[in-house]
Amino acid sequence: MTNLKILLTIIGTLAVYTLVANIIPQVQSAVPREIVLTAETTPEELVAIGEELYAGVGGCTACHGLGTRAPDLVGVAGSVCETRVPGQDCKTYLWESLVNPTAYVVEGFQPIMLDQSRTIVQPQLWALVAFLQDQGGTVTVNADDFASALAEDTAPETAPADAAPVDPASIDPVAVARNTGCFACHMYSGEGVELGPPFEEAVGKDPEYIRRAIEDPGADIAEGYESVAGLMAPGLAGIMSPAELDALIQFLVTGDPGGGDDGDDGSGDGSGE
Amino acid sequence: MNLKHPFWQGVLVLVLAYVVIKWGIGYLLPMIGVPSAPVPSTVVTQYMLTVLVGVLLYMSAESDRWAAFKAPMVRTMVDPGRRALRGILLVGLPLLVGWVAYQGVKPSFGAPATLRSIHPAPPNSITFRGATMELAGLENPLRHSGDMEAHLAVGNAVYTRNCVPCHGDLLDGQGHFASMLTPVPADFTNTGTIVQLTESYVFWRIAKGGPGLPNEGAPWNSAMPAWETILDENETWSVILFLYERTGSTPRTWEEEGAEGEAH
Amino acid sequence: MRAATGAGLALLVAMPLLAQAAGPDYGEFGIFGLDRRGAVWIAAQLHLLFAAFVLGVPMFAVVIEAIGIFTDNERYDKLAKEFTRLLLVAYSATAIWGAILVFFISTLYPRFWVYLTAIFAPSMWLYAALFFFESFTLYLYYYGWDAWKKGAAKKFHWGLGILLNIWGTIVMFIANGWLTYMMSPPPDVTVDTAPQTVQLWSAINNATWMPINIHRLIANVVFGGAIVGAYAAYRFLTSESDEERAHYDWMGYTGNLIAIGALIVLPFAGYWLGREIYEFSQQMGITMMGGFMSWLWIIQAFLIGVLFLAGNYYLWIGMGRIPGAERFQPYIKWMLLVLVVGVIVWATPNTMIASRDEVAAMGGQQHPFLGVLGVMSAKNTAVNLMILTTFLSFMLYRRANKEPVVSWAKTGTMLQGAAFAIAAVIVVFYGIYGYFVTAIVRIGFSVYQVLAVLATIIFVILIDSAMLRGAKSRGEIQWGKMPARSQYALLILAVTFTWLMGLMGFARSGIRQHWHVYEVIRDTSEQAFTPALGPAATMISICVAIFFGLVGMIFWLGGLAEKSVYEETAK
Repeated sequence: MTNLKILLTIIGTLAVYTLVANIIPQVQSAVPREIVLTAETTPEELVAIGEELYAGVGGCTACHGLGTRAPDLVGVAGSVCETRVPGQDCKTYLWESLVNPTAYVVEGFQPIMLDQSRTIVQPQLWALVAFLQDQGGTVTVNADDFASALAEDTAPETAPADAAPVDPASIDPVAVARNTGCFACHMYSGEGVELGPPFEEAVGKDPEYIRRAIEDPGADIAEGYESVAGLMAPGLAGIMSPAELDALIQFLVTGDPGGGDDGDDGSGDGSGE
Repeated sequence: MNLKHPFWQGVLVLVLAYVVIKWGIGYLLPMIGVPSAPVPSTVVTQYMLTVLVGVLLYMSAESDRWAAFKAPMVRTMVDPGRRALRGILLVGLPLLVGWVAYQGVKPSFGAPATLRSIHPAPPNSITFRGATMELAGLENPLRHSGDMEAHLAVGNAVYTRNCVPCHGDLLDGQGHFASMLTPVPADFTNTGTIVQLTESYVFWRIAKGGPGLPNEGAPWNSAMPAWETILDENETWSVILFLYERTGSTPRTWEEEGAEGEAH
Repeated sequence: MRAATGAGLALLVAMPLLAQAAGPDYGEFGIFGLDRRGAVWIAAQLHLLFAAFVLGVPMFAVVIEAIGIFTDNERYDKLAKEFTRLLLVAYSATAIWGAILVFFISTLYPRFWVYLTAIFAPSMWLYAALFFFESFTLYLYYYGWDAWKKGAAKKFHWGLGILLNIWGTIVMFIANGWLTYMMSPPPDVTVDTAPQTVQLWSAINNATWMPINIHRLIANVVFGGAIVGAYAAYRFLTSESDEERAHYDWMGYTGNLIAIGALIVLPFAGYWLGREIYEFSQQMGITMMGGFMSWLWIIQAFLIGVLFLAGNYYLWIGMGRIPGAERFQPYIKWMLLVLVVGVIVWATPNTMIASRDEVAAMGGQQHPFLGVLGVMSAKNTAVNLMILTTFLSFMLYRRANKEPVVSWAKTGTMLQGAAFAIAAVIVVFYGIYGYFVTAIVRIGFSVYQVLAVLATIIFVILIDSAMLRGAKSRGEIQWGKMPARSQYALLILAVTFTWLMGLMGFARSGIRQHWHVYEVIRDTSEQAFTPALGPAATMISICVAIFFGLVGMIFWLGGLAEKSVYEETAK
C-alpha cells in the first residue's frame, strides 16, 4: 500500500509536469533547410534554390516587389537583363548587380542595395542569378560558373575573429548605418526614407530593446509600424562587426553620433545614379 | 455554516480568490481608473490552482487542523444521516466534471485563437471598380481640390448612413452592433488606428473590407464589408476626410517628414 | 523561426571536414519507437542523473562524516556510511549508462563521434584513468569504514572521502569540457578547422566551461540532498519501528536542509552561465531567453514554485514535532500568503494564452493590468521575498524548542526582525522603482535585491548562533513523530529537482538548435529540429521515471543489506 502510494506520488508529479508542458502553445524550432550545391546541380534545381533564397533568407522581397524601393524582378528580370548594359550578357549583368549593386542602379531608384556576397555565399548567388534569368529569359548559369565558385568559396562568410580591440570611439555610427543600408527604410537627420521608425525615436530607449530590434526585427514592432512589420531583413547585425553594432546601438539610444559627425553629406551618397 | 471551521474557511478563501481574480481584476479596477481587462481563463485556472494548493497546504500543515478540515467531508461520506447530501454529491460531482469537460471540448462558433495582425501590410496596388490604383504614394485627391466643407458634408452623410451601426456616432467603435462583433470595430478616436495609417491604407481597408485582408490579418475573422460595391471613389475619399476631421487627427503622410528629423 | 533563418545565412555548401571520413554520417535506431536522438537523449540524461547522484552524495557524505568527527556523534557517522553504501550500486549504474551513451553516440552518430575523438582523445583516456581511481577510492572509503574508525585512521578515512570528491569533480569537469565545446567552441574553430588541429586545452577551456562546472557542482549538492531526502522518505514510510522512523526522519530533514540551502545560491551560478552564453553568442542568448525557449521559463517558474511550497510545507509540518513550536503557528498563514502571492506573480506569463474574445477584451496578448506582473522587476521581487520567507520558516523551525538565555535576547530578536523588514523593504522598493528606469539600471537593481537578502541571511544567522548559545530547551525534537504527508513532500521535492535538471538540460542543449557543435558542425540528421516543450517534457518524464525506478531498486537493495545486518546481529 505504502509502496503504491509512493509510486503514485512520483508518477502523479511527473504526469502534472508533462501535462502542463503539453498544454502550453507548442513551438518547434525548425531547421533552416540546408542547400547543397554541387557541380551536378541541374538548372531547374538551381532556379528552385534561387527562388527560395529570393523569398527567404536573401531578404530580396524586403525591397523588390514593393514597386517603390527597388524594381520589380519577378517575371521581368530575365527578359531585360540583356539590354541593361551594352556588351554585357544577361548572366554577367545579374552577377555584377548582385555583388556590386550601386554601380547598376536602375533609373529612378536609390542606391540602397547591399553587396549580396556579404550575406550569401557565392554558389548560392549563382542560384539567385539562375532564378532571375528564369524570370522571362533562359537560364545560362552552368556548371563552370558554379565549379569555380565552389572552388574559391567553400566556406561561408563568418565574422572576422580578430581579437584586436577596436576603439569604439573611432567608429562612425552614421557611416555604419549608411553602409548597412539602414537609410533605405529609416530616417536620420533628414537622410533616408521614412518607412520604419526614424532613428530619433530610438533616443532614450533601452539598448537591449534596440539590439533585439536589429538582431531579430520581428520580435517587437514599434507602435504604429505594424504595417511594415516583416520588411526589415534579419541578419543585418551579422554584416557589421560587434563593435560597430555596439557603436550603432549606443548612437541610437543616445542620439549622439560621436566623433564622426557627417550628417551633412547624406545627399552626396545618394546621387550615384 | 460555521466560519471558524477550517473547511468553510478554506471554501471562503477560494471563493474570495475567485471573485477577486475573475471580477475584481477585470471590472473593479477599471471602475477606480486602473486600466485592466478580464483575465483569460487559462490564467484564472492557473491562479485558482495555486490558491487551492495554498489552501490545502495550510490546512494540512498541522495535524489537528487537517483532521478538522477533512471531518465534514468524511462525515458526509459515512454518516447515515447525510444520505441525501451524499447522494446529491455522488451524482452531482461527476456531472459537474462531465459538464466542465464538455464545455472544454464542445465545438464552438469562434475561430481558433490565432495571432491576428491588426494592421497587415497593404498591397502595392488594388483594383477599385475595375480600375487599377497604385496605393504606394497615393494621397487623398480631395485634399487639394474642391470645397472642403462640401467634401466633409458628403463624408458625414456617408458615415451616418453606412458606418454608424458598427463604428458608432462618436467614431469610437461603440456602435449598436459593436458588442456582437469580434474583433471589435475599429475605434477611430484611438491613437492606434487611423492616426497610424496613411489615407491610402484607410482607402484600401474601406474598399476591400474584411474579405480583402491578407492571411495574417485573418480575413475570415472580420465583419467589415467590402465597400467598393456601394461607395464610389469620391464618397470613400470623402468619408476618410470626415474620419480625420471629426477625430481631430491627421493621417500619416508618405514622405517629406524629413523636416522633423532635421530639427533634431 | 526567425533566429534559425539568421543562422541559415551562414549555410555551408558542403561539409568538407566530415566528407573526408568514409562511412555513413548517422546510424539507424528504431527500438521502442525511439529514434536515434531519443536513444541518445535517454542514455545521456540517465547517465547525467546517476553521475550527479554519485557526485552529490559523496559531498554530502564527507560533510556529514566531518560533522560526526567534530561533534563525536555516532549518529552522523552511521548516516554517512549509509549514503556510501547507496553509492556503490549507483556507481555501477552510472558506469553502465555511460557505456550505453558511448555506444549510442559512436554507432548512431559515427562521424560526429570521430570528430569528437579527434579533438578530445587524450582527455578521454585521462577520464577513464580517473574513473578507475575514483572507483578504487570509493571501495577503500566504504570497505575501510569500520577498519579505520578511530583517531588518526579516522582522519585518514575522511581524507579518502575528500579524495573521492576530488576525483569525481575532475571527472565531471572533463566531461563538461566536451559538452560545452559543443555549445561554445572557441572562436578560432570554424567549419573548416580540421579537428586534429584544435588545441585540446582551448577546446576544453571554452566560454561556458567554468560557468557550467560551477553550476553543476552546486546543483549536484542540491541534487544529492534531495535524493538523500527521498531515500529517507522512502525508508521512513516503509519502516516498522519507531527507532528506524526517528533515524530516517532526521535524515530526511538533513537532506532537505542541504538541498534548499544550496538551491538558494544556485541562481547566481545560473546568472553567470546565462551571461556567458549571451557574451558568446547573442543569437543563442535570445533563443534561450526571449525566443524559442521563452515559454520554458514559465514551466521553470512553475517548478520553482513547487520547490518553495513543498520545502516550506515540510518545515511547517516538522514544527508539529517540536515542543514550543505552537507559538509560531499563527505566522504560518501569513508566510503562506506571501508564498502563494509570490508564486502567482512569479508564474504570471507575459504573453497570455487566450481565446479570441479574451484577446479582444485585453486588446492584445498582454493583459493591461497583469502585464505589470509579467516583467522581471515583479518576478525578481517575488522570488526574493519567497527566499526571505523560506529563510524565516527555517529560523522559526530552529528557534521553536529553544529559549535564549543571554541577556540581550530581546534586542537580538528585534534586530533579526528589523533585518528581515529592511531586506523586504529594499526588495520591494527596488522592485517598484525598477518600473521607472531603463533595463540596464534595472538589471543592477536585481543585484541589490539579492545582496539585501543574502546580507540578511548572514546577519540573522550570526545573531542567532550567538544568541542561542546555551539556550534553554523547551524539549527535544520528537524525531519520527511526523505525519506521512511530510514525507510525500520530500518525494515531490526530489522528483521536481530531477525533472528541473532534465528541463534545464534540455534548454542548455536545445539552444544549440540544429548544430552538433554550434556553428561548426551541422546536424544533418532528420532529428536536427529542436522539439517543442511538450514532446521534450514527455522525454524528460520518461527519463525521470526510469531514473526513479532504478533508484527505487537501489534504495530497496540498501534496505535489504541493512536488514541482513540487523538479522545477523539479532542472532
